[in-house]
Amino acid sequence: MRADHLSAAATLRVDGLRKAFGEKTVLDGLTFDVSSGEVVSLLGANGSGKSTSLRCVVGLERPDAGTIVVDGVTGKPGEAMPTVAMVFQKIHLVPRRSVLDNVCAGALGRLGLSRSWSVLAFPRELQEEAMACLDRVGLADRAREKAGRLSGGQQQRVAVARALCQRAKVLLADEPVSALDPAASEQVMNLLRSLADDDGLAVAAVLHQPDLARRFSDRILGLAGGSLVFDSPAAEVDDDTVAGLYRPALEALEAAEAARTKEFA
Amino acid sequence: MSIATRPPEQAVPPRFRPSGIAVGVAITLGLIIVHWYAAVQTNTSPKELIEGWRGLWNFLFGLDKTFPNGKTIHQDGAFPLDLRWSETIRPGLEYCLLTIWIGLLGTTLSIPAALLFAIISSRTTNRFVPLWLAGRAVMSVLRAIPETVYALMFIAAVGFGAFPGVIALAIHNVAVMGKLWSESMDEVDQGPVEALRVAGASPVQTAAHAVLPAVMPSLLGLLLYRFDTNVRSSVILGTVGAGGIGFFIKTEVDSFHFDTMMTYVCMVIVLIIVIDLFSAWLRRKVGAV
Repeated sequence: MRADHLSAAATLRVDGLRKAFGEKTVLDGLTFDVSSGEVVSLLGANGSGKSTSLRCVVGLERPDAGTIVVDGVTGKPGEAMPTVAMVFQKIHLVPRRSVLDNVCAGALGRLGLSRSWSVLAFPRELQEEAMACLDRVGLADRAREKAGRLSGGQQQRVAVARALCQRAKVLLADEPVSALDPAASEQVMNLLRSLADDDGLAVAAVLHQPDLARRFSDRILGLAGGSLVFDSPAAEVDDDTVAGLYRPALEALEAAEAARTKEFA
Repeated sequence: MSIATRPPEQAVPPRFRPSGIAVGVAITLGLIIVHWYAAVQTNTSPKELIEGWRGLWNFLFGLDKTFPNGKTIHQDGAFPLDLRWSETIRPGLEYCLLTIWIGLLGTTLSIPAALLFAIISSRTTNRFVPLWLAGRAVMSVLRAIPETVYALMFIAAVGFGAFPGVIALAIHNVAVMGKLWSESMDEVDQGPVEALRVAGASPVQTAAHAVLPAVMPSLLGLLLYRFDTNVRSSVILGTVGAGGIGFFIKTEVDSFHFDTMMTYVCMVIVLIIVIDLFSAWLRRKVGAV
């Protein structure tokens, strides 16, 4: 049932990515890659550049420098790539639309306006493909329900189905489970793992739970100040290494607090 | 747990700073001067209103005129109302209906152009700045001209009647509703928009599949609100000759039939309240409030 496009090896390669917002440098020459069939987690304190790097890859931010290559194709800065899909912490489905219509929307990039001006114009083959994607995430029986009526975990799986309907080879996940309870998180992480193992997707996920990162990914990337601190197999990343990522941020917060207190005194 | 000791008291930072107080006094004085000047320019004085009470009384309750030949006639005032069925009330109801039809068509005919302007004037759906600016500029110009002026222009072009009223309302409403709609699109949750952009959707596809589904209830609510407002406006347009009940209010005033005029005014009050309640009820139904 799975389309052939998923079986081919696909690799995301990010090289020397730089991005500054005004004075503040968020990405400082970030370099990493993700292979087909691999789950890679990005860990780091707030402001370390994890989310920004994913947003640069999908064209939601325009990087100041650096290259993004997917499957041998170099992306244009600030433009979406058809082979790269993304799921978000806040899920970002259209709650009023049906689950099926939300999944179909993943295919908009390859549909002309005559077949996409309204949900009524979506071709039958697309709807069948979307049903297959929904079946892959285990929600085919909810196709006609409004997306907003599903639980958070189910909505996130619909968002994954939308990414599959895009026929992506690389799936980026920006804090995909931060808003979910432990059971739903487990389910979504299992799904991401299985997409890499069984469908050969290259998966990169920003996570805030080191424990989930260790259990579900092959490699963990540690980010601080917009560049890579470590890139290790998940099993080799111990608690100290993880704590080290958050220590500079904690120290910075404490220093700022101390400076303010001094000013007042 | 033991009872906590009270922490030592701390000085409270002042709510107002001296510079803030000075600015407040200056603004208040400035406003008083501007209003005093406006009152002088417009001859606004309570004295004139009080001295004119007899004219108002005559308008409301009529006037006995005595001619030099000794004959006295009574000129009717606004009350008692003119309640003749076939001469006043039945035609009045028809004029009210006409007023509603003018408001309805004026609103409905403006929908396609208003939607187009809303989409090109919202940052969510159009990020091409020159077109965005052009859309907003055209709407500002169209909106700056009151409906009444449009009506006068179209009356000059096609003559008295309801039709120039419809066109006047439609043109003005394109600009007003286009602006309201574009603002509600601006406030839409950007998340689904970004998600579809990542999937490679074009701006038009993003508008159709992320923005419009999210804003549809508020667009409908604003449409109903504009229908309500346009029915009111169409009463005013009538007084300059663009059909409906307003036209007949003006005619009756001009021929000193104040009682008939007041009957029509009462019918307008009922009409506006009914339309207002209806529009509010329907807005609640579509979940827009």
